[in-house]
Amino acid sequence: MNVIETKDLCKNYDELKAVNKLNLNVRQGEVYGLLGPNGSGKTTTIKMLTGLILASTGSASILGHKIPSKLVLNDIGYMPQETAIYLENTVHENIQLFGEIYGLTKAEIKVREVELLDFVDLSHRRNSIASTLSGGMKHRLSLACAMIHRPKLLFLDEPTVGVDPELRALFWEYFEKMAADNITVLITTHYMDEANNCTRVGLMKEGELIAEDEPHLLMESTGTKTLEEAFLALARRCD
Amino acid sequence: MNMRRTLAFTKRSLMQFRHDKRTLAFVLIMPLVMMLVFGYAFGGDPKDLDIAIINDDMGMTTPTGMELSFADAIIGNLDDETYVIHYYDDWDTAKLDLQEAEVWAIFAFPANFTSNMFMNFAMNGTETSIIEVDIDDSNPNLAGSLMQGLQDALVETQEELMIQLNIPPDAAPMSVQTSKEYGDAMEIEFIDYFAPGIVSYSIIMVTVMISIILFVGERREGTLQRLLVSPASESEIVIGYAMAFGVIGLLQSIVILSAAILVFDINIAGSVFLALFVIIILAIGHQGLGLLLSSAAKNELQAIQFIPLIVFPSVLLAGLFWPVQSIPRILQPLAHIIPLKYGIDAERSIMLRGWGVAEVWPELTILILFAILTLSATIILLKKRQ
Ligand SMILES: Nc1ncnc2c1ncn2[C@@H]1O[C@H](COP(=O)(O)OP(=O)(O)OP(=O)(O)O)[C@@H](O)[C@H]1O
Ligand SMILES: [Mg+2]
Repeated sequence: MNVIETKDLCKNYDELKAVNKLNLNVRQGEVYGLLGPNGSGKTTTIKMLTGLILASTGSASILGHKIPSKLVLNDIGYMPQETAIYLENTVHENIQLFGEIYGLTKAEIKVREVELLDFVDLSHRRNSIASTLSGGMKHRLSLACAMIHRPKLLFLDEPTVGVDPELRALFWEYFEKMAADNITVLITTHYMDEANNCTRVGLMKEGELIAEDEPHLLMESTGTKTLEEAFLALARRCD
Repeated sequence: MNMRRTLAFTKRSLMQFRHDKRTLAFVLIMPLVMMLVFGYAFGGDPKDLDIAIINDDMGMTTPTGMELSFADAIIGNLDDETYVIHYYDDWDTAKLDLQEAEVWAIFAFPANFTSNMFMNFAMNGTETSIIEVDIDDSNPNLAGSLMQGLQDALVETQEELMIQLNIPPDAAPMSVQTSKEYGDAMEIEFIDYFAPGIVSYSIIMVTVMISIILFVGERREGTLQRLLVSPASESEIVIGYAMAFGVIGLLQSIVILSAAILVFDINIAGSVFLALFVIIILAIGHQGLGLLLSSAAKNELQAIQFIPLIVFPSVLLAGLFWPVQSIPRILQPLAHIIPLKYGIDAERSIMLRGWGVAEVWPELTILILFAILTLSATIILLKKRQ
């Protein structure tokens, strides 16, 4: 079953085609990597899928509902590209707020908070004001906030920016574990090495999806050794 | 609307203020500072006003052999904190000094001042004693104070004389007039008149400023986007914020009203709770205005540019320092669309006139409508996606 399906999805800002005729199919339990240079339309795609902005033309559905739909809001998690945490509140208060927003009981929030803070390695900073965290720590808190309600579909817009290699490896392990639990993850990143961990990747360029496949198949079809080289080859091919 | 979710937003905002002590201090102390500055600048009684006194009163000896000079008695009763007395021999010199602003006023007692007064009440005469007065009108408030002080001295002197001369208290009052009249407008002390306005004004200023900045921040940091992708509805977000500002408004008004009562001795004729309630509604409405304006701004810098747009009309047109009736007629309709005007009107009526809901309901209704309007407009704007 496709958790995300888009059909000729477009977003225009005046003359600019931020997303151009995007046809994307993401299956349940996939970690789908959306790759592409700055301004290629990754964030715009995620914003349309979450309903934050409206598509100019085309259509899409997530979790079986045509977007934009309020019905899916309980089942999706979203980590924006911006830090998107309350900087003047503590780590605990941030987690608590999102727990309450998603209707978790007090007890559930308590359990979930321990789990998540452990996962993003912030247990020792539970009572720190978020603005006093390091850049990577803020991103980690933001990720924790997106996962508090165990969403079925997670949109992660560059979740690993500024996160140290050790923790990043841990994150990917966790994403794969979620996928095993049939949770679907749509993730954007600029780190090609970590994109290798994705079930499938889609390469975007100037608003268009220029290739989509399992990482090793992309490398095979272009006769390259790394995803980075594969991407460059594909980008050149479509010029 | 889910109450738990709404309260979660309220709680989060309030916790933010709790952690951010400086902002909290700004929010609570700023209105207080404004109150103190305005209070001391405009309030209190004027002191050490130079006046010219020309005392030609010859006095008189009563049939019982008592030496009397009413003029001396009145001069003696002039409050020596308010007045610095300079004696002059003739009107012209005094007048010259008045014109040169050496003195604020001239009080002149004619030669027959005492005898006329005595004849009047002891012999049922019809003569009136007149204190010749001339005043520098350039500052109506000072002029009012100067006349009030003279009036007080006059009343005090008459009371003393009634006792001294054994005149029954129900006897006809002594007839003394001043050659100039000032109305009772100055009966209410200046600060009393200003306090309700200052209270309202300082709270809306702080509220608009803080709410604009907080909400622009929410947009820029991406937290708002995150909320919009959550099951929380736009109304829950906005009302959650409004309730937080209601609480902040309540704290602010408690601080500022206490200062008004304790420092400036202002007595609130009406219900303190009603006064508080009006301020909270005013704060919530302006918080809504702040949210609304913040959606028209891309960043804090742009947001701040809205502040003068609110400050100037409020200060100049809403009846803060001078009545709306005294501004140019073509600007008056403008005053009526400034919500602060209704806040000030209501607070003034409650605090000075002791009015209750039965009387201030029109203003109260307008303020409640204003709050509903700004909050729902914000909700609608948030619901709109592009
Ligand atoms: N609100 C907007 N108004 C006008 N243009 C926009 C707007 N939002 C995005 N764009 C444009 O759309 C294009 C795609 O932007 P988008 O943010 O989706 O890129 P991205 O792939 O996420 O890039 P990055 O890797 O830098 O995050 C860019 O050219 C951007 O300038
Ligand atoms: Mg992006």
